[in-house]
Amino acid sequence: MAQRAVWLISHEPGTPLGGTVRFSRRYPTVEKRAKVFNGTSYVPIPEDGPFLKSLLFELRLLDEDRDFTESRDSCSRINKTSVYGLKVGGEELWPVVAFLKNGIVYACVPLVEQTLSPRPALISISAVSQGFELLFGIQDFLYSSQRIDTELNTKLSQLPDLLLQACPFGTLLDANLQNSLDSISFASVTHPQKQPAWKAGTYKGKPQVSISITEKVKSMQYDKQDIADTWQVVGTVTCKCDLEGIMPNVTISLSLPTNGSPLQDILVHPCVTSLDSAILTSSSLDAMDDSAFSGPYKFPFTPPLESFNLCYYTSQVPVPPILGFYQMKEEEVQLKITVNLKLHESVKNNFEFCEAHIPFYNRGPITHVEYKVSFGQLEVFREKSLLIWIIGQKFPKSMEISLSGTVTFGAKSHEKQPFDHICIGGTAYLKLHFRILDYTLTGCYADQHSVQVFASGKPKISTHRKLISSDYYIWNSKAPAPVTYGSLLL
Amino acid sequence: MSLTMGLLSREAWAQRLGAFRASPSAYMAAPEGEDLGRDLLSDLRSEKLSEQTKVSMLALSLEYPAQLWPDAPAAEAAATSLLDTLALLPPRPSALRRPLLLAATTALVTGGVLGPTSGASLRLLPLLLGLASGGDLGRRFGPSSDQRPLQATACECLRELESCKPGLLGGCLGLLRGLLGQEGPVAPVQPLSLLLALALRNTLVIQARARASLQGLLTVRAPPPGGGPWNWTLAQEGEAHLQPQAPSWPAAEEECGLSALEPSPEEARELRAAVAQLLDTSYLLTPVAQAQLLWLLGWALRGLRGQPPVLFKPQLVRLLGTAQLALLHAVLALKAAFGEALFTAQDEALLLRRLTLAAQHPALPLPAHLFYLHCLLSFPENCPLGPAGEEAAPLLLEPQLCRGLLPNLLHDPMALLARLHLLCLLCAEDEQKEEKGQAQSPCHYLQELLAGLQQRAALTGGPRALATLCFQASYLVALCLAGHHTVLAPLTHGLAQLYRARPALAPHFVDLLDRVAPELGEPLRVVLRQEVVSRPGGGEALRWHLQMLAKVADRDAQSATLGFLQAAAAHCTDWGLQQALLRVCRALLRAGVGGGLADLLQALARQLEDPDGRDHARLYYVLLSHLSGPKLGVALGPSLAAPALTSSLVAENQGFATALMVQEAPAPIRLSVGRQRAEGPVPVLQLQVEVLEPVYSLELRFRVEGQLYAPLGAVHVPCLCPGRPARPLLLPLQPRRPAPAQLDIRALYTKSTGLTCYTHLPPLPVKFADLFLPFPKLPEGARLGFFEELWDSCLPKGTESRLCCPLGPQGLEALVSRHLEPFVVVARPPTSYHIAIRLPPDSKLLLRLEAAQADGVPVVLRADDWAVLPHVGDYLRGLSAAV
Repeated sequence: MAQRAVWLISHEPGTPLGGTVRFSRRYPTVEKRAKVFNGTSYVPIPEDGPFLKSLLFELRLLDEDRDFTESRDSCSRINKTSVYGLKVGGEELWPVVAFLKNGIVYACVPLVEQTLSPRPALISISAVSQGFELLFGIQDFLYSSQRIDTELNTKLSQLPDLLLQACPFGTLLDANLQNSLDSISFASVTHPQKQPAWKAGTYKGKPQVSISITEKVKSMQYDKQDIADTWQVVGTVTCKCDLEGIMPNVTISLSLPTNGSPLQDILVHPCVTSLDSAILTSSSLDAMDDSAFSGPYKFPFTPPLESFNLCYYTSQVPVPPILGFYQMKEEEVQLKITVNLKLHESVKNNFEFCEAHIPFYNRGPITHVEYKVSFGQLEVFREKSLLIWIIGQKFPKSMEISLSGTVTFGAKSHEKQPFDHICIGGTAYLKLHFRILDYTLTGCYADQHSVQVFASGKPKISTHRKLISSDYYIWNSKAPAPVTYGSLLL
Repeated sequence: MSLTMGLLSREAWAQRLGAFRASPSAYMAAPEGEDLGRDLLSDLRSEKLSEQTKVSMLALSLEYPAQLWPDAPAAEAAATSLLDTLALLPPRPSALRRPLLLAATTALVTGGVLGPTSGASLRLLPLLLGLASGGDLGRRFGPSSDQRPLQATACECLRELESCKPGLLGGCLGLLRGLLGQEGPVAPVQPLSLLLALALRNTLVIQARARASLQGLLTVRAPPPGGGPWNWTLAQEGEAHLQPQAPSWPAAEEECGLSALEPSPEEARELRAAVAQLLDTSYLLTPVAQAQLLWLLGWALRGLRGQPPVLFKPQLVRLLGTAQLALLHAVLALKAAFGEALFTAQDEALLLRRLTLAAQHPALPLPAHLFYLHCLLSFPENCPLGPAGEEAAPLLLEPQLCRGLLPNLLHDPMALLARLHLLCLLCAEDEQKEEKGQAQSPCHYLQELLAGLQQRAALTGGPRALATLCFQASYLVALCLAGHHTVLAPLTHGLAQLYRARPALAPHFVDLLDRVAPELGEPLRVVLRQEVVSRPGGGEALRWHLQMLAKVADRDAQSATLGFLQAAAAHCTDWGLQQALLRVCRALLRAGVGGGLADLLQALARQLEDPDGRDHARLYYVLLSHLSGPKLGVALGPSLAAPALTSSLVAENQGFATALMVQEAPAPIRLSVGRQRAEGPVPVLQLQVEVLEPVYSLELRFRVEGQLYAPLGAVHVPCLCPGRPARPLLLPLQPRRPAPAQLDIRALYTKSTGLTCYTHLPPLPVKFADLFLPFPKLPEGARLGFFEELWDSCLPKGTESRLCCPLGPQGLEALVSRHLEPFVVVARPPTSYHIAIRLPPDSKLLLRLEAAQADGVPVVLRADDWAVLPHVGDYLRGLSAAV
């Protein structure tokens, strides 16, 4: 269940090495066990330099992909998980858990407590999921707040001490590094009662509970006879409970209005102590029917100190909030475009912002635009080959707006203009970006009165809601578009 | 030097640690590496260094103890020194206590010194146990604010020691249980729980292996062995087998053999109570620690009699609801460990649905999706159908459930491949059922997807990763759906179109052809060849076409291929292109293409600009016209010795050297001399030949040393096969003198691979008797006279000798009939024989054998050449030995 070593590597494209090891930690007692368990198939952990080189090559993060290289490009080298075998000094180090996120490669080598030849299935290695948890935990710690470089450096410099706390011998004690950081400062508190390991101390102060529901809506719209449009809502319920006592109990209920869309695919935080089977089985994998469980969704839990995601859910609302079409045709030297967007009447017509981005890939810079909008303004980014239609805070009374025009492009120069491997020929999309505050598409809300808190003092309860768009695409209906399997099931 | 080093400043240490970390091996190889371990230990006690610096020094020792203290004595000394440093700390809060405990533990483990003979071990263990129990020892040891973290750290150290030396804490199970159950101000739950679970599991395994009972280990609550000696018994029993903390499933089950353990009812009850105690408080553990606990306990109870896994049941619903990777993984481990005993069919279906859900839930990150997808295809089913160890879609995973898991072009490459694999599995199943042929059938969707991938790969100037992805997908499809013509045919067609659009992908095509089975490979080869040869032989893509053709050209469609090459030759203006062209010719030569190729090669030999190319074309022409097909194949085959190089010449030099030169090789041939024939005008040696492998065109050459015989002719055998009896080879001898000799033998032959080999066989003796020939047979009445005449003619020129030939038990008659029968002229059995032997070239040997006496057979012999006498003597003595 232990890790033999862990690394953080910043990916620096264009530099001679392609990256720098920002942090590494080895666990020699685990290495000692690896030697015994792996026997003749044991491969030692390399030093940072060779590891960096081999990992970046394997992840295709080196810039040298001009020529076909068999050890990287061969069709039979297929990786279907974030677990790799690295060629190091003529031997293969496996399993190496690694992924790239925000310019940093997170990597570790889980201990396999048996021989490596033949290779055991990943599912049978307990340290693999522990390795993922460690890396996710580090990632959360590094990016939990602002993404300023100096802060990242500060956090990186805290890592050695934090891992000494959270993973002293390679066996992970807590993936929540913030909690480990807190536990250093809470160390002097005495504990008359059993204290959860995931809660470093106790809160002292005014009791308050804050609940915020954020829904993201994504969509793929085609405006075609044989392809169905798809859309989906993904919700996240975040809580921060400032309550006194070691183990205060809280129950939060999420409710839906009568015509609300049932919540499905609910995943809860591990602090939730019990779960109704109706919540557990409500799933988007099944065909929808009227008997679907529609709440209230009760979540009893003992909160940790920090802000946490109480649960995630998805939902299938009956209609997309904005339905539209996009038609783009190549006419001689210019493109003719027509866009139409319609806000559904049930949706709150009060946006924080609403924009439609219309990018043109694999073409030269925009040289000329002629257009007509029924509403809002159009901004032209010539060099980026991008149009942004700023719709603003409200749709007009008709709820329907349109844009039409022609766009002319200059000569293509590869370095400057955006390349895209989906938008080939007529394949093109526009992407909607919007945000509506104090609103959810499912109608889901947390009623202040339904929040039960078993702790001293009556807490102040605040709730927040918002809807934001995410991957909201409307594809050019005059050309082929990438489809998902679900879109074919008309 | 070490004196000054001993007073290093903070900056100097920071620099030193930085230099070490940059490359530990280089640092330790340099002179300054030598003292690092010693300086580190002594400077930890320096009052001039800050705690922060000392923590970073200790952190280094936690990572690189084997470099700092490379052998057991050094590790023991280091651990002792660290413990001394710990004891010397003033009684105020210090950040050094935890890392010092960790460092001492690490040094003992990595130095391999943990054991009853190590003084440091005997100090560390009671200290850790005392700290873990939170007793007086801890209070004496440091200020109260340090107590709790130290208690936790001591538990972690003990857990690490127990992991590396299973059974170490076998004697402390009762104590640990007591600590965990304590009321009032309590020990930290998580470290104690994990320590107890590990120690419990190790004890169960060790006792089961030793076929011993639990011996009340669960209940004895001995006081911490502060003064008393540590109990090493279990650790020594467990020593030979390092216990996996969480062994992989099911293959290891037999190995575990917990069923050998038969706890008494009371022990079983205690065990159940201990496990229940751990599970009941498990919600107090962090999610990753809960997962560790479940793996350990699941393994501890698996296969153990009287321990139903229902204890786990109350935890499952809670766990199934989370999205935590480690927890869901641990549930899968329980599933694998207990199967139906813990998961009914409905539970299994629910688990599968949660897993399917987790594999696509938008709130989870991609690496988690991919891992869940892997788990889905390796799902530990209650009733598995397919072969173990192979990825397959579980039976309960209906296609309906997989809808959201199918790939599309917007996916990241890894996700696309993982999901593509699932799609292929569905297609394979789908085709087994009914041919639906509808637009939404998985197979149809697969085709659309592949077409999309091909279209993207065809983008000129697109990143190579896109092309690679397309070929990986093609490979995966060919692997999973070999034999599914409805999928492979359009795939082949699509790939041909891709080649037409972007010939620069030729290396990917060559790679794909190298790796796929013939189901896809053969049709693809044909369409690609058509694709190439149907073009005019020029243009920028020519070098790709030639590379492609070198892979796909064969005897089919010769004329089109040759036509293309002829046209291409005019455009092959630089060395690289000419080499590429010649490589195609070479491929055609190997494939056995004849006539038209000879014309092309002749043309190339005149026409190519580069002299190297011209020479090469000429060489190929010569080879084509002079070598037989198989031999040509070998000559041009890929050389094992030479890696593929850009020049066809270099590769060939190796190939030719082996194929066209004669190789010296150990012989697969054995020769022996058979029974002598004793007839005809000259002695003829019968050779028996055996081979260990097929041998063709064998030529045996013989030479006799000292010119005793006339030069011998070579013997030719067209073909010999192992196990097939060969007719004896006849080797006529023409002695110049009647004397035995050694035959020196060399063999030249061709192996089935076409290589010609040459070898020196072990020499064969020609014995004196091998030269014997009889005189012509005369009528009965004339024989005695004839013999007497010969007898008399020997003297005076020749010689006479008498000797006694010792006789074996079989008597004179047997001796004669066995060895001398063909040469007997007059026989009066059993008392007297007259024997006459012709010795080529022109000598004779006459023997009179008389009735045997006590000491042997009296023999009178006469020969007309005195020089043969020693040989005769040897021969006769040999006879008696032989009988």
